[in-house]
Amino acid sequence: MAITRRQGTATASGTGSGGPPLSRLPRPHRSGAPLFAWLMVLPAVAVLLAVTVYPLIYSLRASFYRIELSFSPIRHWVGLQNYVDAFTHDPRFWPAMGRSFYLVGFGVLIELVLGFGLALVLNRLGRTRTLVTALLLVPVMIAPVAVAIEGVVIFNHSWGPLNYLLSQIGINGPVWLGDRSVALNSILLADVWQWTPFVTIILAAGLRTLPEEQYEAAEVDGATGWQLFRTMTLPLLQPLIIVTVLIRAMDIFKTFDTIYVMTGGGPGSATETASFYTYLQGLQFFSFGYAAAISYIQLIVITIVATFLVRRMRKGLA
Amino acid sequence: MNEHKRSFVKSALAGIVIVAALAFFLLPVVWIVITSFKSQGEVFHYPPIFRPNHIDFRHYSSVLNGPGGHALKDSLIVASANTFLALLVGVPTAYSISRFGVGGKNLAFWILSIRMFPPVASAIPLFLLFQKYQLLDTHWALIIAYLTFNVPFVVWFVKGFFDDLPRDLEEAAMVDGATRWRAFTGVALRLAVPGIVTSALLAFVFSWNEFLLALFLTRSQVRTLPVALANLVGGHEIQWGEIGALTVVAIVPVVILALALQRYVVRGLTFGAVKG
Repeated sequence: MAITRRQGTATASGTGSGGPPLSRLPRPHRSGAPLFAWLMVLPAVAVLLAVTVYPLIYSLRASFYRIELSFSPIRHWVGLQNYVDAFTHDPRFWPAMGRSFYLVGFGVLIELVLGFGLALVLNRLGRTRTLVTALLLVPVMIAPVAVAIEGVVIFNHSWGPLNYLLSQIGINGPVWLGDRSVALNSILLADVWQWTPFVTIILAAGLRTLPEEQYEAAEVDGATGWQLFRTMTLPLLQPLIIVTVLIRAMDIFKTFDTIYVMTGGGPGSATETASFYTYLQGLQFFSFGYAAAISYIQLIVITIVATFLVRRMRKGLA
Repeated sequence: MNEHKRSFVKSALAGIVIVAALAFFLLPVVWIVITSFKSQGEVFHYPPIFRPNHIDFRHYSSVLNGPGGHALKDSLIVASANTFLALLVGVPTAYSISRFGVGGKNLAFWILSIRMFPPVASAIPLFLLFQKYQLLDTHWALIIAYLTFNVPFVVWFVKGFFDDLPRDLEEAAMVDGATRWRAFTGVALRLAVPGIVTSALLAFVFSWNEFLLALFLTRSQVRTLPVALANLVGGHEIQWGEIGALTVVAIVPVVILALALQRYVVRGLTFGAVKG
């Protein structure tokens, strides 16, 4: 353990984070930025206003109308009716939200536990660590649609390799994508496959920044490995763990690509999550007003999570 | 001796765990590569065939001569143009925020929060907006829409690199009579090139991989790789060999980048929160 931590420090200084402490660098001029500085941010601010704030305002307005483009281009003002419908009349929206939360809850939990365990093992490696880390990045970087296609091919219950391998050890594999009680977990498995290495790599980087002297002192005092983990590692890594959890929670909540390709929301509506249901309302049923309303409800959920995340990062973790 | 033995057992266990993990995380990718070489009969064969009869590139050439080639071109156009624009507006912003603290913390964190925006919420308004200006189903629709995530990404990622640069060199250049603009383009930009190149490559990957907005905003004229792949899977006669081949085409550049950019990827994916 001690050896891996020492190597970690060497890597960290190589990437620049081991440089002089920030306080020694000259601070940016907070007040009175020159005109030149404002001109430099202007294009980006204009672009971001156009592609995010404008759509936000537009869809907020749309959410107060009934817009059924599959019937007619005419829109009717309905006030808050779309929101009322989502909360009271729609039998599909809240189950879809429930599935989103199911994926978020179990996805974050599994990825965190597996990712943490793997991070601890990864940091025990010597020279091969860099290579293993690079290979672990492969799932993280590839397109979710590519992950979904892997899923379709591997989960196929009649000719896929997974059920064949399971049958070799005497397990009768399920119909991964076609069974109502399994399909959502297959989506979950695809997410765990793609994102556990992400959690691993972040936490492994965090573990390498832990103060070695404190561990040595605690070991001299006779602390066991588990005690060290519980009383030192976990509390020291807590800010990083929280950021990781929030990033994953937000991204899982937005999951769409794998569902679209692997199950199309089915069988029935077994894998219909909130984001997938919004897509159906918008692009399949062309109920733009209602789709806008339910996307606003999701936006509020994500904003709550994101606010916690940004606040965490503001506290100086960055 | 006992101590020695225990540490040996421990590192052997660590090795086993790592090998098992690598198998779990890489074999699905390997399986897609194998699938890309299989004939249709081999795909449906049970028990599954682990070594296809012919290792040749017939599926690659047939899919690239069909819908795949078009998609590859569209993906390249959209991802490069979007990356270029994101850098064009993002890098000066990064410099300005890093050096002058423009807009204080609020501007920086407003930009960060946009990165977390759910695409499904902006897809419908963007659809209506682009419909109005007849940009639907054009490259421009995606080039513009992808700025929502790539401009914030470039700003935050490159800002980190400017933060790490000593400002003495720019100040020295200005003492020698350079304008602020010259100090930026001549000194700071040049020193930040590694960071800017890395951000460009990662931004390219984010565009390259995007699916939801492409699904909403394009239809038949423009079809990026993820959309083309989804269409192939949803087709009537599913050609698995060709799908495997096009998937490999879609992931190979990304895998090369992942291996090359290893230590920056984490920094990129966590908005700079983890320097990796």
